[in-house]
Order: sequence, then structure tokens, then C-alpha cells
Amino acid sequence: MKPPESDHQLFERLRAGQEPAFLALYHKRQPALYRFALQMSGSTSIAEDITQDVFLALLRDECGFDPDRGSLIAYLFGIARKLLLRQYERRRSEMPVDTGGEETGLAEPVDASDPLTDLAARERIAALRRAVASLPRRYREVVVLCDLEEVDYADAAEALGCPIGTVRSRLHRARLMLADKLRDERHGGDAVPAWKAAGCAI
Amino acid sequence: MNCEEYWNESAGPEPEEDFDAHLAACPACAARYAASGSVAPDLRLLAAAMKHISAPPGVEAQLLRAYREQYGRRARPARDARWWWAAAAALLLAASALFTGARAPHPPQVAANSPVAGIEEEENAFTALPNAAGSAQDEDVDLVRVELPRSAITALGIPASDEGEAESVEAEVLVGPDGMARAVRFLN
Repeated sequence: MKPPESDHQLFERLRAGQEPAFLALYHKRQPALYRFALQMSGSTSIAEDITQDVFLALLRDECGFDPDRGSLIAYLFGIARKLLLRQYERRRSEMPVDTGGEETGLAEPVDASDPLTDLAARERIAALRRAVASLPRRYREVVVLCDLEEVDYADAAEALGCPIGTVRSRLHRARLMLADKLRDERHGGDAVPAWKAAGCAI
Repeated sequence: MNCEEYWNESAGPEPEEDFDAHLAACPACAARYAASGSVAPDLRLLAAAMKHISAPPGVEAQLLRAYREQYGRRARPARDARWWWAAAAALLLAASALFTGARAPHPPQVAANSPVAGIEEEENAFTALPNAAGSAQDEDVDLVRVELPRSAITALGIPASDEGEAESVEAEVLVGPDGMARAVRFLN
């Protein structure tokens, strides 16, 4: 069986005018980019615009992608992030954090075999989704990239324009924030955020 | 690496080993790290619940339109391939004329509606080839520049001296959509 083409091979072919390569790359990478934009913006219309603009940027003669400097997926997420930042600046505030499940299509059942499991899973997912959406942007983007879209640390670092160590630090802090938020929601308490207290002397 | 460096944003690209070494040496941070991992199963559930989400078809349609506008005119791979076949066909035609020793006393007649009709009258104009007969007026032709032996000039019935027959001359060949040469013009 013929191995699937790499992003770079598809990129080379699409730049040579081969439409099937463009469609293949679009179908391969569009869902993750769209979901990233959706999670970061909370708006389907913004997510659509961002997805479209990312691929339009790729078509430009001077798109700026250099395979020697990094992967195409990191480049695409980097473009998406820059476009999202422009959106933030335009709005002069953070994007809405509480997005409706109906609008984003996030309220899908997880396990339809057991109604109780399904209900519990739905509730956990809904709570986690709210928690992710309420994270500050810099923490939300690493969670969406690394935990939800499974982008590796190196590509995430390139897309975010920061060192790998920063990605890792942010991700750990973001997960602690999420754990705190979920615990608070379950118990209704105001627990001290674990990530704020150092608690050791090293 | 201390606790603050571990949990706060790093200033530089610390290697992964530094993080692992700190966790191994610091029970408090190891406990916090374990707590941060407690959300991992739910994050996996959330990721799975979102897998079906993708951009609506309208985005693809608009991008495809943009792609065709930008690359449709430029690349034309099928036409490029035809161009090379046409060049090869033109060379074959000239070569066959040489080796069969076909010396037409006059350039062949060209149909009135041929795309190369009338071009012979100009100085250094194209000479119609037999393939031009019957070709359509609005036929889409390609211009191919080739090198031919000097003897091809006389082989095609064009008056020329016999000196230096083995030398190469540059020529332009008009090639039809079927890959056959329609007309030729020698440049030097």
C-alpha cells in the first residue's frame, strides 16, 4: 500500500498547481485548525474565517513557509494564532468564553450504550469545556493545541513562538487550573489554586 | 531548575531533562504535577467528543475557487505535458523528412482556413508543413523552439546553400493540439 503523502509533499504539489494535493492537504489539516479557532474564539463564523484565511495565506506566492525552519502544521497553527490575535485586538478584549453547545456542536454524546455513563460523561465534558473556555488565552491555546489536538511540544512551541520549556510550563499550569476549576465546580468551594502555591524550597 | 522556574514561564529553551530532574527531586512539585494529570482522562473525552467537528463545506468551496483562480491559469500540467510531446513530435517530423530525403520542390499548399495560412508571405515567415492542411482556423497551437540539422532546411523544400549541412540551426515550430507540427521557421 502506498504510504500517505507528507504535508511537505502535498504542499510542493499544490504549489505546482495540482488541485488534488490542495484538497488532500485541506481535508487533512482543516478540522484541527477549525477546532483550534473555534475553541479560541468561541464563534463558528470567526473559526470559518480563520480556517479560510489560513489556507489563503498558504496559496500566496510569498507565503513564508520554509520546510527547513519547521513543519507545515506548526506554520498553519502559527498563522491561525496570528489571525486570532488580530481578532482579539480588534475586539480589545478576550473572546466570549461561554460558548453554546448548539452553536459549536460540542454537546455530542460520548457513550450512547449506557444512559447514566453518557449523562455523567456529558456533564464532565460540559464542565471541562467551560473550564477550558475560561482559561486565560495563553493557557487555553496550549491546552487546545497539545491536549485536544495532540500537537507535539516542538510544533506547538513553533506555532506559539516560544521555547518548548514555556509550552511545557504553561501546559502544566493550565492543567492545574483546570483541575482546580473542576474541583471548585464539583464541591462549590473556593479552594486555593494549587498552581499558585510553590510549597517547596528547591 | 527551581520550583518557580518549573511552574512559571521559562525564559529559555530548557531541555526536557531539566524538567524531569526537577520533578524527581521535588516531592511537592511531583504531587502538583500528578494533580495536573488528573484532568487528562477528561481532556481525552473532550478531544474525542470534538473529533467530528470541522469547517462547513462552504469554506472548502470558496478556497477551491481561490485556488483555481490563482493556479488554474499558471500551471496547466496537462498542457505542459502536451507541449513536450509536441516538441518531440516536431523533431521526429523534421528527422523523418531528412532521412527519407524528401525534398519537396515547393512548400506544400496550405488550406485557406488553416491557422498558418498566409504566414508564408512574410520575410522569414513560417513554412507550412503537410500537417497544416485541414487544420482548423481557430486551432490552439504551441510555439516550440528546437535545434535541427541545417540539411533540414532543404529537406523541407526551402532554398538554402549546401554548405555546412551537418551544422545545427535554430527553428521555431508551430505544433497543433494533436502534437503534430503545422509550420516551421528557421531563425538563423
